[in-house]
Amino acid sequence: MNTDFPLPDNELQRLAALRRYNILDTLPDHAFDDATKLVSYICGVPIAHISFIDEARQWFKSEIGIGVSEVPREISFCQYTILESEMVEINDTFLNDKFKDDPNVTGGFKIRFYAGIPLTTPDGYNIGTLCALDHVSKELNENQRNALSIIAKHVINQLELGTKNIELDRQKKIAERAVLAKDSFLANMSHEIRTPLNAIIGFTDLLAQTKLDEVQEDYVDSVQIAGENLLLIINDILDLSKIESGNLTIEAAPFNLKKTLKHVYNLLKVKVPKDVEFNLFLDADMPENVVGDQGRLNQILVNLIGNALKFTNEGEVTVSVKNVEETEDSYALRFSVKDTGIGIPKDKLKSIFERFTQAEDSTTRRFGGTGLGLSIVKQLIELHKAEIHVKSREEVGSEFFFVFTYKKATAKEAVSKAASGNNLGKLKILLCEDNILNQKLAASVIQNFGFELDIATNGEEGIELLSKNTYDLVLMDLQMPVKDGYQTTEYIRNEMNMTIPIIAMTAHSLVGEQERCFKAGMDAYVPKPFKQAFLLKTIKTVMTKDVDAPQKRVIDFSFLEEMACGDENFKNEMIGLFIEKIPEQSEQLLEALKNNDHETVRRTAHNMKSSIDIFMLTDLALCLSIIEEEASKGEFTTEIADKINIVHCGIEEVVKVLKEL
Amino acid sequence: MRIILAEDNDILRKSLSFFLESKGFVVDQFSDGKDALEAIESNHYDLILTDINMPGVSGMEITQHVRQSINSDIPIIILTSSGVEQTELDSFDIGANEFIAKPISPAVLLVRINKLLKTRA
Repeated sequence: MNTDFPLPDNELQRLAALRRYNILDTLPDHAFDDATKLVSYICGVPIAHISFIDEARQWFKSEIGIGVSEVPREISFCQYTILESEMVEINDTFLNDKFKDDPNVTGGFKIRFYAGIPLTTPDGYNIGTLCALDHVSKELNENQRNALSIIAKHVINQLELGTKNIELDRQKKIAERAVLAKDSFLANMSHEIRTPLNAIIGFTDLLAQTKLDEVQEDYVDSVQIAGENLLLIINDILDLSKIESGNLTIEAAPFNLKKTLKHVYNLLKVKVPKDVEFNLFLDADMPENVVGDQGRLNQILVNLIGNALKFTNEGEVTVSVKNVEETEDSYALRFSVKDTGIGIPKDKLKSIFERFTQAEDSTTRRFGGTGLGLSIVKQLIELHKAEIHVKSREEVGSEFFFVFTYKKATAKEAVSKAASGNNLGKLKILLCEDNILNQKLAASVIQNFGFELDIATNGEEGIELLSKNTYDLVLMDLQMPVKDGYQTTEYIRNEMNMTIPIIAMTAHSLVGEQERCFKAGMDAYVPKPFKQAFLLKTIKTVMTKDVDAPQKRVIDFSFLEEMACGDENFKNEMIGLFIEKIPEQSEQLLEALKNNDHETVRRTAHNMKSSIDIFMLTDLALCLSIIEEEASKGEFTTEIADKINIVHCGIEEVVKVLKEL
Repeated sequence: MRIILAEDNDILRKSLSFFLESKGFVVDQFSDGKDALEAIESNHYDLILTDINMPGVSGMEITQHVRQSINSDIPIIILTSSGVEQTELDSFDIGANEFIAKPISPAVLLVRINKLLKTRA
């Protein structure tokens, strides 16, 4: 390197070290300004700075009394300081051979006193300096020198902290991306597994309702139990991932507590070993109705009781609920599950709540289970802002308990008895579902209800049927080829302008999906595998609900008004021209599509787009762009036909709105 | 200042003409590229504003003709509507001064026109 200034031996590595901190040409920073002030106070000097030296310049991160942001490296005093390992102090520059003729001594900054300490990185490179300067000669005392070294160390720490923060941030982003990937993998996997499982469970259900001999009944029973167990495991895994990603929320809806507990009791009664007594003790003043998350309470209790029954060979398993505190608007209820089972060793009392852990490694083999249950229970209880407690002695038994606070249900909220009977008449239902097994399953269930059913294997077909026939209701699978449930619903709502009730059916169960369904314009949501009763209830709800009037399109005239420069007559003239021409072009587009005339489609779409742009109908403009682009390739896809339909409907609507002006 | 405007969409052409006339320009408008080219050959214009995609003669053909056959350096602004056209134009050195993507912002168009007319003045 050919330079006019001395270079440290390790100049290249030094510059690399400097660049790692990414500090050059950054904005001022309080931490550095404070350090500079400290230097000035402690040394009693009018000039102080923190600077970094790159190939060509000394750049001031922070300065007092200098007033410029950088100086050429060759005129800086500090070019020498970074060659040293210790502080450089020049008490009087006039007496120093190296500096007495320096332009910044004889003129310029008029420096008489210089004290500079190299800023040394942890790996030993001097990337800059911390300096105190004065216009008069001076000598620092020992304390001031020590203070300068300490501040220099702090400056380097500050730099290190900055890079560590950036690195942390980067790692955090990587981690977040990984979690997202895991979540969507789990959701997809669970979908893939649940779709066929849905069919297995559903058909077994139907099979069980047919006439079977004893052996067959036994087989069907076994299939049912295995299917349900498999579903439980999948749900466990999914729940855990939802809890971990913060996607699981606790609902607050009124429910009948007594009924819920009895239901859990009846559900698990069948699993009680023959030498075990299974009891449910309810406090006399336990409330009938509360506001909370029924489903999650159910899940917690099933898990805890299931465990208790699994690990108890003789004696008893007792579930008790006690009203421990009642305030004006809430109850605190203590739920307890107590058994006389094998118990848990003391040193395992904590680890049983970790996932994939059971009290002994061999437990998994001896007792089965995923090892996820207690981990989920603990987290669900914590989501209720409560804590799970466990008392246990080996060979004596265990007790798990927790205290939930539930809001009181107002009289109005008290769960009303479901309207009985099917008073909906003979509904005509359209089912959009691609999976043949699920189609058959839904078909037989719906026929059981006494409704009429048409089936479309994808959204495209659904739309076609919907435009030909009259239906009372649409059942919509979300994942379908060609056009998925969301797209189909949006099309039905926005392009066909139909208010027909749509119920989403999905094996996906990530939180947020329900909102997405509602946003797309669906009225209700039934998770798969669906229970017959729940589906019927949902159908009743949407059929009796008043459906809001669809929103009308609002047209933005700001572009046309800008063109018209405020001339109302011209604006109206253009609107008139649009109303006159565009429906004709829209017809031409449909006609050309029918005739497979690519060139006319391309040309017409291109021309229409210019008109559509003027009325700022960006959705339609986008469709037209796609139509034009696809048509220029010389082939019509189903997407084109679809887009042309959207444009046609959209234009009809726009023209209607414009005519009403 | 006299501008020739070639654009086949009636509403857009009329709106652009109205807008530019409101800003003090004289605008001759054509919906067909061939007619526009004839007008360019027989009249004096200060600026050409043309859509790229037109029946008859395209905006690119107009530009080529003006630059190569008429040998004029009159400012030319081409209106494009798709990304595809834009890339095509970018790779082509056909001699236009500006490309403006649709939808055209009237304000941006005005700035570009004024800039082109000023640098010539």
